[in-house]
Amino acid sequence: MKFRRAGIFLLTLALALTLGLAAPAAAAQEFTFGCAVPLTGLFGKDGQLVRDAYTFWMETINAKGGIAGKYRVRIIFYDDQSDPQTSAKLVERLVTQDKVDLLLGGFGSSQVMAASAAAERHKFPYLSGGASSNKLYDRGFKYYFGTLGKATEEVRGCVDVFTAVKPKPKTVAIVGANIPFTAESCKGFKEYAEKSGLKVVHFELFPISLKDYNTMLLKAKAKRPDVLLVGSHLAVAMRVVKAMKEIDFNPKGVAFSYGPTVPTFVQELKADADYVFAASEWTPNLPYSGPVFGSARQFNQAYRQRFNRFPDYVEAASAAAAVVQQVAIEQLGLKPRVSPADRVRLMEKLHQIDLMTFYGSVHFGKSGANRAHPPVAVQVQKGQLVNVYPAKWAEKPPIYPMPAWNKR
Amino acid sequence: MSALVIQSLINGVLMGGIYALYSAGFSLIFGVMGVVNIAHGDLLMLGAFLTYWMFVGLGLDPFLTLPFSLLGLFVLGYLMQRLAIHRVVGAPPIMSYILTFGTHLMISNLALVAWTADPRTVTTAYSGAHLAIAGLTVPWVKLITFLISLAVVGALYLLLHHSQMGRAIQATSQDREMARLSGIKVDRVYALTFGLGAAITGLAGSLVVAFRDVDPGMGLPYTIIAFCVVVLGGMGYIPGALVGGLILGVTGSVCTLLFTPGWSVAITFFLLYLMLLLRPAGIMGKGIVE
Repeated sequence: MKFRRAGIFLLTLALALTLGLAAPAAAAQEFTFGCAVPLTGLFGKDGQLVRDAYTFWMETINAKGGIAGKYRVRIIFYDDQSDPQTSAKLVERLVTQDKVDLLLGGFGSSQVMAASAAAERHKFPYLSGGASSNKLYDRGFKYYFGTLGKATEEVRGCVDVFTAVKPKPKTVAIVGANIPFTAESCKGFKEYAEKSGLKVVHFELFPISLKDYNTMLLKAKAKRPDVLLVGSHLAVAMRVVKAMKEIDFNPKGVAFSYGPTVPTFVQELKADADYVFAASEWTPNLPYSGPVFGSARQFNQAYRQRFNRFPDYVEAASAAAAVVQQVAIEQLGLKPRVSPADRVRLMEKLHQIDLMTFYGSVHFGKSGANRAHPPVAVQVQKGQLVNVYPAKWAEKPPIYPMPAWNKR
Repeated sequence: MSALVIQSLINGVLMGGIYALYSAGFSLIFGVMGVVNIAHGDLLMLGAFLTYWMFVGLGLDPFLTLPFSLLGLFVLGYLMQRLAIHRVVGAPPIMSYILTFGTHLMISNLALVAWTADPRTVTTAYSGAHLAIAGLTVPWVKLITFLISLAVVGALYLLLHHSQMGRAIQATSQDREMARLSGIKVDRVYALTFGLGAAITGLAGSLVVAFRDVDPGMGLPYTIIAFCVVVLGGMGYIPGALVGGLILGVTGSVCTLLFTPGWSVAITFFLLYLMLLLRPAGIMGKGIVE
């Protein structure tokens, strides 16, 4: 009997030691961030880029000793499988079970829409660099912030670049996948095209599950547009290029809201990827610089060294979101564990912050939407992404009109 | 008829050929074993990736990889049947759904771990090359796929009706016990059938990667299309795959042209619903109805 009591005592002691003494000592030095992001499914590739960006931020900051030079960063990643409900559930889990200090945003407007609603409920600031649907900002949320421009504004560079080429195109056709981000891209295309005096001769949204792109594009081809504008993510952009070639569709220019800036695009389509335009919010030659990563060019080079490829603008926007949250934490002097009251202060701080970073200026203001960046367009030229607009930052002039498929 | 309508009919017929090719194996397996193979699309994906990696790694032309995906998928299908599927042949359908759904999850997730979620495609010198006649375009790769599809369905039909092995397969599908009593090795017939079904599905995958992007998660949507095709043409009736494929391809394409692309997807499922309601044995009335 005595023996058993001694055993219980020892066990209790051991438990007290592990829980009471060991844990706070270790945890106090560390900020834990939680992130639900697509690693599989339709946006798996895009989501993996976002994970890389956060990982890069974490490694960079930990190499400097951590946030404020002393609190190391740890990130818990969960795969939301490109599913909005799953993303929301995972945010719940990060907050209630994993008890993370703060969150990092996911990828894709639908997922982020659901996940940020869960974050808002728990009063966790949610900064995303991978979603740009306008609807994200129409909800009156206090804890949602985005570093990317709004979807309708984000595509502006893609339209503006065609006002700078000669001969100036007169007509455009617009097609896009009917999901939040790409449908809004198409809306933005239409708005800016009409403002720029381009006539929209064809406008059509199609379901993301569409199997045969040939007939869908045939309708656009029949209208003989000078320029084709496509609301797309990576896979849709690849399908459109393949189908254009099959039906011998030769507009003088083609631009995508998203896709060509992901390295996979050029890698898989090879020479067929040439001459396409894409909207961008950021290119490494822009004259931006700020804390943590230095200049845009330095960020670009360091990223290349780490992952053996150059970053996409969504990766830059995601890393910038992490930097802004970090700077706000440092300015407030927050320490781990972050309390609910701290998170309210952080949210208020984020609404005020006005910061120059490697990604450009970040100022969320009241709505949580970042101040619009000057529109940028890139073009694939000989397999390389080249900044072609605006003229003052252009690395090369845009190639327009693009050669017909049979003349390449 | 305007050139536009003719072109959309051509697009539809070509798509139909592709649908038929990847649905024929699904129909065969169902017809003989009564197994609805939910992992069907994953076999297609494996064929596609086999071709992709041989193209990337060895620089082999996609068409030269066809024998490898035929053989590779045959062996895989044969083993799959021997090791797993044989347990649910003759069991209530729900058992085969569960088993093959599990197989689907396993294959697609393993593929995801191995190959990541990147969409991939094969771009060759002749990618997108087409025959141009009177302003109409017929992409070569799709045309060849269509012809292969005709040949495969024809060969499968001949095999089933005019060969010893085919007769054994037919006999087994009609009455398993009688076939066994007549000296047919039923288990072997099943494994051969599954291998054969997997082989032509892998072949289809090798051709798909030449004109469409593929990724490890692509399987399930393809299984669903195969299901629609086979219901339209008649479950288990091989030439029905061609009929069903063509109906689906052409209605999809014409709907896209005349209405919107959204309709072309909706109509697929509307047709499926109508068929199940009115003609469960398929357009030709030759499918198996349980």
